[in-house]
Amino acid sequence: MAFNYDSYLRLEKMPTLWCWGCGDGVILKAFIRAVDKMGIDKDDMCVVSGIGCSGRFSSYVDFNTVHTTHGRTVAYATGIKLANPTKHVVCVAGDGDALAIGGNHTIHGCRRNIDITMIVIQNFIYGLTNSQTSPTTPQGMWTVTQKAGNIDPTFDGCELAVAAGASFVGRENVTQPRKLEKLFIKSMEHKGFSYVEALSNCHINLGRKNKMASAMQNLDWIDSITVPVKKYEAMTKEEQLNLLPTGIIKQDTVVREYCDMYQDIIDVHQGKRAKITQDDFVKKI
Amino acid sequence: MSSIMNAPANTPVWVDTQRCKACDICVDACPAGVLSMKAEASSTLGAMISIVAPESCIGCNECELTCPDFAIYVADKKEYKFAKLTDDAKVRQEVIANNKYRLPEDYKGSN
Repeated sequence: MAFNYDSYLRLEKMPTLWCWGCGDGVILKAFIRAVDKMGIDKDDMCVVSGIGCSGRFSSYVDFNTVHTTHGRTVAYATGIKLANPTKHVVCVAGDGDALAIGGNHTIHGCRRNIDITMIVIQNFIYGLTNSQTSPTTPQGMWTVTQKAGNIDPTFDGCELAVAAGASFVGRENVTQPRKLEKLFIKSMEHKGFSYVEALSNCHINLGRKNKMASAMQNLDWIDSITVPVKKYEAMTKEEQLNLLPTGIIKQDTVVREYCDMYQDIIDVHQGKRAKITQDDFVKKI
Repeated sequence: MSSIMNAPANTPVWVDTQRCKACDICVDACPAGVLSMKAEASSTLGAMISIVAPESCIGCNECELTCPDFAIYVADKKEYKFAKLTDDAKVRQEVIANNKYRLPEDYKGSN
């Protein structure tokens, strides 16, 4: 018997609406395997997704799911997590969802270090709405809104998450499904905000006009721009220029998690402890 | 549980043709030339996955892991004795990959 994905899927929604060869399906499978390996009960998991192709993610999995408004995945997930601190909350957002319209929510989620796993499916384009420039579109590529070539500098989501204070930051590539699964497990086990960027292909809306019209050509290109983080760190600045590191980029287990700190406030109001003062914090400003 | 998870008797790899969208990824991922696309008029892309050499399957699971559509499954190592990777299988894989992921109809093996 092969691995039973169907027990985690809403079978009436199958087959998926994603295009042939879309990396979203590979990410969904890796996520299901990760949940299965961790032995998380389906009722203890909540998947929150936004708008975009990645928004379909929550429709296909048979967990507690919320399909929210554009870019507001982290805002909804923060509420869900604070009300249910013992449950696993996973956000799934696209690059436009997480870094453009929802950029503000993402950075404040990172800052609070609340125990949410945020999976950002990064396909370098607005795929669902047909090829508009996203914050991560590589410079010089054709998009429907930049037909002469994209001039906008690109955003590195992982660097943003590190700077904003996420305690776990990782990146992986859909051509490495086993590594992706391991990264999902590590990010869900981590207590604190986990930002996981999964580089995915959109050969339909990015590839067709950028000389990678088949899934394989697009995946080969993604392979060519990624390098394991250890190798990346050993490189010179010039060599790093057009590469993205994969693996665990940051993991901080010392910094306190938001739900824990919120418990302090509950305790204050219940008279179980004295008021919170600046002395309770190592880093105050 | 749906029956697709259970291996048909003595089969290393099997597919759900209702879910396959013919994206070629599994054919590219296979190291042993087990899979190939075939013409299929009723499919959106005019192609469908087919298993051309099940006896060469080495059980590496790459096709199952890289399939985005839950369409292809590989037997458990305990249930099926997989073959070792042969030169013949590698050559067949190269022929398939270089022929738009379709095994030429007149292909007779590398010898």
